[in-house]
Amino acid sequence: MVRLITHNLLACHAKGCTSNNFPLQFKDVAIEIREAEFNPDFLRGFLARLEWGALVDAARQLGDTSLPPEVPDMLDDDFLKSLHHVLLEIHVEEGAMICPNCQHVYAISNGIPNMLLAEHEIG
Amino acid sequence: MTQRYLFVFAQVHEEFRIPELLSIAELNGIEITFPCPLGELDLARPFMVLGLENDEAARLLARRCILIKSICEFYARGRTYAEVHEENRKNASKWEQYIENTTFKFDVSAYNHSIPQRRQRDIVESFSYMALLGKIEMKDPQVTFVCLEEYIDKHGTTRHKHEGDGKCREIFFGRLIEEGSARSLVKKFDVKKRSYYGNTSMEAEISLLMANQTLASPGKLIYDPFIGTGSMAYTTAHFGAWVFGSDIDGRQMRGKDPPYGVRAGAKRLGRKKPLSVPASRPVQPRPDDQPYVPPTKPYELSALATDLVVLARYMLKPGGRLVFFLPTVTEEYEEVDIHTMLCEGMEVVANSLQNFGSWGRRLITIKKTTTSRFPAPVFEPQGGSEENNAENGHVPAHKDFRTKYFQGFKKDVT
Repeated sequence: MVRLITHNLLACHAKGCTSNNFPLQFKDVAIEIREAEFNPDFLRGFLARLEWGALVDAARQLGDTSLPPEVPDMLDDDFLKSLHHVLLEIHVEEGAMICPNCQHVYAISNGIPNMLLAEHEIG
Repeated sequence: MTQRYLFVFAQVHEEFRIPELLSIAELNGIEITFPCPLGELDLARPFMVLGLENDEAARLLARRCILIKSICEFYARGRTYAEVHEENRKNASKWEQYIENTTFKFDVSAYNHSIPQRRQRDIVESFSYMALLGKIEMKDPQVTFVCLEEYIDKHGTTRHKHEGDGKCREIFFGRLIEEGSARSLVKKFDVKKRSYYGNTSMEAEISLLMANQTLASPGKLIYDPFIGTGSMAYTTAHFGAWVFGSDIDGRQMRGKDPPYGVRAGAKRLGRKKPLSVPASRPVQPRPDDQPYVPPTKPYELSALATDLVVLARYMLKPGGRLVFFLPTVTEEYEEVDIHTMLCEGMEVVANSLQNFGSWGRRLITIKKTTTSRFPAPVFEPQGGSEENNAENGHVPAHKDFRTKYFQGFKKDVT
C-alpha cells in the first residue's frame, strides 16, 4: 500500500545512490481515497518520525494542499484531521516513484510498489 | 492492594504463557505479582494463583491473552475438600455479598479427568455452608462459582472412565471473573478460512501469540519485512495496529502464484554464483509488460538474524519490539546463540520454544532499550552488517539451519 506514510519512509537504495535519494517523486499516479480510523495519539506519536517537508511536497504532488509548510506549535483537531487524511487515507494505486538522484523508477501496481533492485544496481 | 486471582491456562505452548502474560500486562499497565521467581513456576500445571490490582485487570488480561481460559477471584485451594472448605470459610468476606439476592451457579470440572455427575452434585452440596439464598440460574447467573480438581496426567495408561475419581493432586475454588475470550480468535483466524493462504502461512494460534508479543494495539505501526501471505498482518491489524510489509517475492502479497515446496528459505537479492563478467546493465532484455524479477540467493540464517536486529534498532522507537521466529537445532542450541545476534541497545525480553523434536523454533522478543539514534545500517552482500561482522567467537547453532534441516540434523555430514 503506497500511502503517504509509507512514501515518507522510502528512499532509493540503488548502489552508490546515497545522497539526494529522498523523497521519491511520484509520476503518472492513480490515487484512491479510502477512509481510515482517526487516531490522534498515533499521529502525535508519529509526528517526530516524519520528514515534514517531504510529506508536504508529496501531498501537493497528489493535489492535497491542506498541510502547512511547518509543523504548527498547537496540534489542534483540524490540523490532526488533515494530517490523518494525508498520511493514511490517500492511496497511490498505480504509477511510479522516481529517485531524484539516479532516476531509478520504482513501479507501483495494484497499490504495491516494487522496491526490488536489478542486478547491476545492488552493492 | 493486591488481590489473589486463579488463572486457568490452556495447556499448550507452555513456554509462551508467561511471556504473553507479561506482554499484555505491559500493554495495559498492569502489575502482576508472582508467588515465586518466574523460572520456578510449574508450567506443567494449568492453574496459577497470581496477584492483581483488581477485577478490571483480570478482565483485560482474559480478553487478550490467547493462552488464558479463564480468571477467577481466588477463594481457596487444598489437597482435600476439608482444606478447601476451611480456607473458603476464612475468606467468607470475599463472598458474603453474594449470599442474598444474587442468582448463581456452580461449575465443577477437572483437569486430566472427568468427574461423574453424581459426585459433581456432592461437591456442590458440600459448599452448602455458604448458605447462598439466591436463585440457581444455569443460564446467565449473576455469579459463577468455580471448583476445579487437578489430576496427574494419566496419559498412556489403561483405565476405566472414572477410575481414580477424587484422587486429585489439588482442588481450587473461586468466583469466575472472565472467560478468556481471545482463545476463540484461534478459530476466527484459522488459516483454512482465509480467502488467500500459502504453504508459508502460520497457524493461527502461533501468529496470535506472536502478535501479542509485538504489543499490537491502536496507535502502533508495525512493519513485517517478510510479510509473505500476511499471517502477521491479519492478527496485528485485528488488534488495531497499522501494518505494512514487504517481501522479496511479491507474488504472494498480490495474491497469485503461491510458491511450492517446504517453507521458502530466506532469500536476498544477488546470484548464488557471481557472474564471470560483472553485470553493468540488465543481462537479458525483457518485454516491457513484464515486471522485472531479479535473481535471488539464499540468506544464511545467522547473518539474517543479526541484520534484522541492527535494522530494528534503526527503525524502532525506544521501547519498541522486534519479534521473530528463529528455527534452532534442539540438541545444539545454547542460550548464548541468541546473544550472538544482539547489538548495543537491543535486549532479549522473551525466548519461547515451540518444540518439534529434533528441531524447534524459538519466538524471540527483543526490546530496544536505548533512546540513541543510529544511522541506517549498511548490509554487506556476503551477509551480516559491518558492525556484526566485526564480532568474533561463538558460532550459533542456528547457523546454516536450512542445510542442517535437509540433512536431517545428522552430525558429521561432509
